[in-house]
Amino acid sequence: MEELDVPQMKREVESLQRQLGMGREKASVTVTELVKWVEGGYCEDPFLNPELMRANPWVEKSKCVIL
Amino acid sequence: MGEMEQLRKEADALKDQITAARKAVQDTTLEEAAAGVAVVGRVQMKTRKTLRGHLAKIYAMHWATDSKLCVSASQDGKLIVWDSITTNKVNAIPLKSSWVMTCAYAPSGNLVACGGLDNMCSIYNLKGKDGNVKVMRELAAHTGYLSCCRFISDTEIITSSGDCTCILWDIETGTQKTSFAGHQGDCMSLAVSPDFSYFISGACDFTAKLWDIRDGNCRQTFAGHESDINAIGFFPNGQAVITGSDDATCKLYDLRADQELITYQDSSIMCGVTSLAPSLSGRLILAGYDDFNVNIWDSLKAERVGALAGHDNRVSCIGVSADGMACCTGSWDSFLKIWN
Repeated sequence: MEELDVPQMKREVESLQRQLGMGREKASVTVTELVKWVEGGYCEDPFLNPELMRANPWVEKSKCVIL
Repeated sequence: MGEMEQLRKEADALKDQITAARKAVQDTTLEEAAAGVAVVGRVQMKTRKTLRGHLAKIYAMHWATDSKLCVSASQDGKLIVWDSITTNKVNAIPLKSSWVMTCAYAPSGNLVACGGLDNMCSIYNLKGKDGNVKVMRELAAHTGYLSCCRFISDTEIITSSGDCTCILWDIETGTQKTSFAGHQGDCMSLAVSPDFSYFISGACDFTAKLWDIRDGNCRQTFAGHESDINAIGFFPNGQAVITGSDDATCKLYDLRADQELITYQDSSIMCGVTSLAPSLSGRLILAGYDDFNVNIWDSLKAERVGALAGHDNRVSCIGVSADGMACCTGSWDSFLKIWN
């Protein structure tokens, strides 16, 4: 990792002051909402819902075609 | 006390205050919040297509937003645009510099970009009038290699570099709009938020940073990894960040509570993470590793629920299509594979 010079260090301190000032929400709210959001999307996720993968564009349709 | 000493003390004090502020809102863990959730059953995917044509290591791939086309970059000096369903090569673009490390597809589908050891980001127009694909712009200003690039639109692109900075470019004029400095090691990877207002960068200083695209400021810094962060992505809801590192783990960070939520690791995994992508709902995290495999993680329970084995060398890149229907892996074995 590189060594900082004085101007870079000043900017780092300013940046940390800004980062300190952000409004942090309680994890009990944000994490519960994250879990809910993920669970809510379960049925729409093709990797989890085999129904959605029935019409799979990457799978070869049957070799024979009725003309 | 010298000025440098003074500043160092201030910085350390601020970091301690940030740690305390994070602790103050840590009134639950992901383990607790997901306690009632059952682990996802074993996830098994098959290789549906193998995209053959590159003659050397593949370093990067990116899906087009139509979930059908994708672009890949190889050190054989070519960018190839593939129709992943037919496996046809739509475009094979010869590059001026073969030392390419990244590529990107514009959301519109009109442009692709790449860059690498030439320190530049080259933009190619796929929809030129005479049907030929030509270099439209060469964005030069970085003093180190280009590790990653992502389009915001046809007129703006963000790049990350070994010179420790990221840049937002105006493609039309070919000039820098904003420089994002603050990382203390090579920037290795970047990802743009779903609403295009933020981006995140992962670097060799072991941290990830969240940046405001418009004002150029770093909003948040996430530490915790014990080695270089090679891969980074937004959780699909835009409110969490996933990182992958040479320390053999992936981590999930909550943006709103400003803290690490969980680590995806296993004592049997001892090699670095090269790439990662979440599934559509975020429930699965697919991560590529140096040991030629992809591991599939249950993001809420931090358990490994599957693996994609099939490449004969390092998996260097991975992407899940926008509609969530397929995963594409690219490898140093010169092949791309489509899985679902």
